[in-house]
Amino acid sequence: MRHLINAELLKLRTTRAFWAYVASIVVFVPISIVLSITVGNDQNPLTTSEGIRGVFSAASSGGLMAVLLGITMSAGEFRNNTATPTFLITPDRRRVMAAKVLAGAILGVVLAVVSAMLTVAVATPWLHARGIDVDLLSADVISPIAGALLSVALSVVFGIGIGGLIHNQTIAITVIVVWTSIIEALLTGFVPEVGRWLPTGAASALGGTWTIEGGLLPFWAAALVLTGYCASAAAAGTHLITRKDMT
Amino acid sequence: MATIEIHGLSKRFGDVSAVNGLSFTAQEGAVTGFLGPNGAGKSTTLRMLLGLVTPTEGSATIDGNRYADLHQPFRSVGAMLETDAFHPGRRARDHLRILATAADLPANRVDAVLEEVDLVDAGHRRVKGFSLGMRQRLGLASALLGDPRVLILDEPANGLDPDGVRWLRQFVRTFADRGGTVLLSSHVLAEVAQTVDDVVIIADGRLVAQSSLADLANRSRPGVRVRTPQVTALHDALIKRGIRAQLVADDALVALDSTPETLGLAAAGIGAVIYEMTPEHFNLEEIYLELTATQGASR
Repeated sequence: MRHLINAELLKLRTTRAFWAYVASIVVFVPISIVLSITVGNDQNPLTTSEGIRGVFSAASSGGLMAVLLGITMSAGEFRNNTATPTFLITPDRRRVMAAKVLAGAILGVVLAVVSAMLTVAVATPWLHARGIDVDLLSADVISPIAGALLSVALSVVFGIGIGGLIHNQTIAITVIVVWTSIIEALLTGFVPEVGRWLPTGAASALGGTWTIEGGLLPFWAAALVLTGYCASAAAAGTHLITRKDMT
Repeated sequence: MATIEIHGLSKRFGDVSAVNGLSFTAQEGAVTGFLGPNGAGKSTTLRMLLGLVTPTEGSATIDGNRYADLHQPFRSVGAMLETDAFHPGRRARDHLRILATAADLPANRVDAVLEEVDLVDAGHRRVKGFSLGMRQRLGLASALLGDPRVLILDEPANGLDPDGVRWLRQFVRTFADRGGTVLLSSHVLAEVAQTVDDVVIIADGRLVAQSSLADLANRSRPGVRVRTPQVTALHDALIKRGIRAQLVADDALVALDSTPETLGLAAAGIGAVIYEMTPEHFNLEEIYLELTATQGASR
């Protein structure tokens, strides 16, 4: 299994598209911090616990890009026909998908760690300049960073599962972008009692984003819900891929 | 020992039958040409043999084992199926490194196969800029990575220039002479006639002929070309008399294993006008075309 995971990570490192994804995930971090400190949110000013969590939620701001990156790990193999050599080397496709999921989770944690370090490096001195001193070991910092590790890693795995269900990479990416930025956004806005149970709602709860009053799940429940979505997507995607005729 | 055995193999995609009760074998130490027109089911058969497509019925084995049941299949069977199974933005060498890593092969195999297919200088280039011939060679390098005993090549000569075809021919010949098993497909007999020992011919997913190339050439046999305005009527009359005939033009047909005397009688029987009758001897390529075409027409 170890060499299969290494091969998956090598597949990523040897394309420019991967580095573009990494760059876009990292770029979201300062943008998110700029927005939360300068534009802010009247209900949750920076002096409150929610305000600080909102600033440090930047660590998980690349979550959507992480899902798309996961899609390229699975559906991308069909786009470029590399699924053929992959399955010739490892005819048991469940092992291929398991290696992708593990490699994706490792990648997600690394991306979240980089994002978290960048968040701390940018946000802490800026808040200090505004007269707000943040204790880096306080729950308001630890919680969004722990949430980022979990939600970004799960986002990559979710993407791998979606790419296993929708083998056309372009369609898979379109479906996810439309789903998260239109359908989920509308549901969360108008029917928050439903929206908080959806993947993006759960990821937001983990990351510490502010939302409308009483909207989000508690951390532990969000972790369970998001893990459930990812496990279901990965299992369903694996099932479909094992049955696919590679014509 | 590496013998490929296809037994009663069938594949249906919905209502479409791609392969139908196909059986044949490919022996070790020999190059077997897998021939048939485009759409005859060659690729589907090779993909079933390699575990990429699930057969509806039948079995395809290598030394008695299904591909998926082989221990480290990449070390015993090398396959080249598509000309573009590469990420365009990836360097050729990196493509091979990924395969070697996944198959748990030593890294020096990458340089060895690049050398074998003469791509050392292009190894650092992105595949996007490769010509079709270079992609074919990179595909072959991928197939050779595990130092296999069996090679399965789908239309390997596509896109190769004459030098490349000659190089491939010698390569495949040497591989088989060292005891390897080669199964290679083509839709053009002439392309492989100088390379193969045995031929398996299919049309419409069914076996048409399996024999050595020499035996196929011996089937070369007399026939008669007939020019007549009542070509359809004469064709039907000949078929009715059990004579194999095939329309070759608006006013011409070819009858195999026949003589002008028999044809003359048949034509008189339906009152057909004959403009011309030419006894001919059919060569290998014509036999191939005849075999695959009549099978197609009798569907």
